[in-house]
Amino acid sequence: MKEAVRIQQEDFSQDEEIRALQASSKRMGGIATFLGCARDFSEGREVSEISFDAYGSMALSELNKLRSDAIEKYGLLDARIVHRIGTVKGGDNIVFIAAGAEHRVAALEACRWMIDELKQRVPIWKKEITPQGEAWVTPHP
Amino acid sequence: MINVLFFGPIAAATGEREASVAHVPGLTLGGLKEMLAVQYPEAMHLATMMAVNGEHVRDLALPLADNSEVAFMAKFSGG
Repeated sequence: MKEAVRIQQEDFSQDEEIRALQASSKRMGGIATFLGCARDFSEGREVSEISFDAYGSMALSELNKLRSDAIEKYGLLDARIVHRIGTVKGGDNIVFIAAGAEHRVAALEACRWMIDELKQRVPIWKKEITPQGEAWVTPHP
Repeated sequence: MINVLFFGPIAAATGEREASVAHVPGLTLGGLKEMLAVQYPEAMHLATMMAVNGEHVRDLALPLADNSEVAFMAKFSGG
C-alpha cells in the first residue's frame, strides 16, 4: 500500500486513496476529502501551466506532522495527504486530502483544517506560466 | 560551513539554489540574513519564513551551529 503522505510528480487516484483510508478501520463512518486542482485562469490571465518547487525533505516532514496533528486534534481514525510537484496543466490534480472519522463533523472540520494549515506550514511554491510570462503566486487567503 | 538553501521565488531572485557561508562563532540566523542581504537584497526582502535543519524558526537571535542547513523562504503557495 502507498504511504499515507506523499509528494510526487505523477497524478494520483482519489479512489485509491479513499479505498486505502477506508481499509484502515471499519469504525469509519465519515470521510471528507479536498481536491485542489490547477486553474487555467488566474488574476485576469490565462494560465497555460503551473510549476511547483518544494523544499522536499522539509515539506514531507511537515505534511507528516500535519497529518499526525489532525489525527490527534480531531480524533480521526486515519488521514491521507498527497501533493504533486513538477508541472501541471489546467484541470490537473494538485493536492488531495482525505480525513476519516467515526462521524462526519470531525472528518469535515479536519479536512478543512488540514488544507488551511498546509498552505501556512508546508514549503511548496507555485509559479503560473502564462502567454505573457511567468510569475510566482502570491498566496490566497 | 553553513549550507544555505533557496527555493521558488527566492531561488529565482538569487539565481542560485544554494550557497555556502563560512561559519564564525556567535553567528545568528539574523546575522546570516544580514550578510546574505548584501549580496541578495531582493531575495532577502522576500524571505519571510526561515528554517534551520528542516524546522521552522522565527527567532532571528538563534545561534547557528557549524554545518547547519538554513533555508530562507518566501511565503508558501502550495495546495
